[in-house]
Amino acid sequence: MNGPGLFTAHVPGTSVVHQMPLWLKLVGVLGVGVMPWVTQSVWPLALMTLALAGVVLAARLPARRLARSMRGLLPVLVVLLAFQWWSHDLAYAVRVVLGIVNAFVAAGILTATTPVTDLLDGVVRAARPLRRLVDPEVVALTLGVVVRSVPWVAGSFSSVRESARARGLDRDPRAVVVPTVVHVVAFARSTGEALAARGLTDPADDDAPGA
Amino acid sequence: MTEVRLDGATVTVPTDNSPGHRTRTILGPVDLVLTQPRVTVIGANGSGKSTLLRLLNGLVTPTAGTVTVDGLDTVRHGARVRRRVAFAFTDPISQLVMPTGREDVELSLRRLHRSRSERRTAAEQVLDRFGLAHLADQSVYDLSGGERQLMALAVVLATEPGLLVLDEPTTLLDRRNTIRLRALLDTLPQSVVVATHDLDLALAADRSLVVDAGRVVFDGDPATAVQHYMALADAP
Repeated sequence: MNGPGLFTAHVPGTSVVHQMPLWLKLVGVLGVGVMPWVTQSVWPLALMTLALAGVVLAARLPARRLARSMRGLLPVLVVLLAFQWWSHDLAYAVRVVLGIVNAFVAAGILTATTPVTDLLDGVVRAARPLRRLVDPEVVALTLGVVVRSVPWVAGSFSSVRESARARGLDRDPRAVVVPTVVHVVAFARSTGEALAARGLTDPADDDAPGA
Repeated sequence: MTEVRLDGATVTVPTDNSPGHRTRTILGPVDLVLTQPRVTVIGANGSGKSTLLRLLNGLVTPTAGTVTVDGLDTVRHGARVRRRVAFAFTDPISQLVMPTGREDVELSLRRLHRSRSERRTAAEQVLDRFGLAHLADQSVYDLSGGERQLMALAVVLATEPGLLVLDEPTTLLDRRNTIRLRALLDTLPQSVVVATHDLDLALAADRSLVVDAGRVVFDGDPATAVQHYMALADAP
């Protein structure tokens, strides 16, 4: 449906970034995510963008994957920049956009340098204290499915847009948004059915071998 | 061999959402005992094949009658039935729920192997067995249609179920990959029930069912079943 972006799959490697403990990567992503709320200046965010580019290089992640990921995000960023500039000022708009870019790249580095199964194990461990409220395996599975679905949804949007363009309807938002939503709902249903068919949504206590 | 038994199994769906709504029967009643290693189900689109298949691992539960797998009722023991019955869908991309094949096989093995290292070793063995080790770390989006279908089979067979159910597995495959898939199915130790429009695949079974308008209208040897199906399809 689409080529691989940073979110699509783990990139095996032996770099320092790959070998970092999961908790440190998660703290890093969290830190990058909250940064726009704790700084009033553009410069720390711009420096963070450069630092993240350095991390991408250090992890030897293919630059074309990052470029492909960013290309999908670019139209949204342009619209957002214009809107925030219009409704606030340019400095504010740049801060918002850099905050999103940084969070996007940081999350991409996390998923590209960490096998999803390690992420799932980490989430299961983190959610264990809440097991009376929610099954940690279900939380982890949900995260895994979300990570895998991001490129699918982006690819679906792109295919629908191409179809709309072929019909001369690419300027009509309904011709793009409605079919994309229909595709995503159908994909969610089929993914849910696949998970159920594999018994991955069955309660854990009914699952012990020989039960 | 796994024994599947359907006793008066019927599936109805509401035709509207009003109180005391009317229902429409989409399958049944079906009475069958399946014990053969290879069973094929053939029939037109919308005939009820997929619903019949979904009854076998509890994805669809009967609104009347019962379905049991090795004596386990699919309603009361759904989780245990799903451990015995693997299900492969037509489109493998909806089946592969993780970014790479290795991660998906490991997901299948999570409840069998709690230790990460054991799980990795077991996943490696599964991928080797299916000749997919070289594709294990590729994004599922980068695999060809045939590779995806084989990966989806490896994923559902990783837990070594007794029965494999496939819903039109060759529909999206070219001829070469169809032949590869057929060869793989021949080597599996599991019982296999497959719904298909591929009449060569249907003929290679031990037993064939023809489904039409929600009923099993023929149950017997594959050659006669295919003739029966073709007569139905050609009828005005």
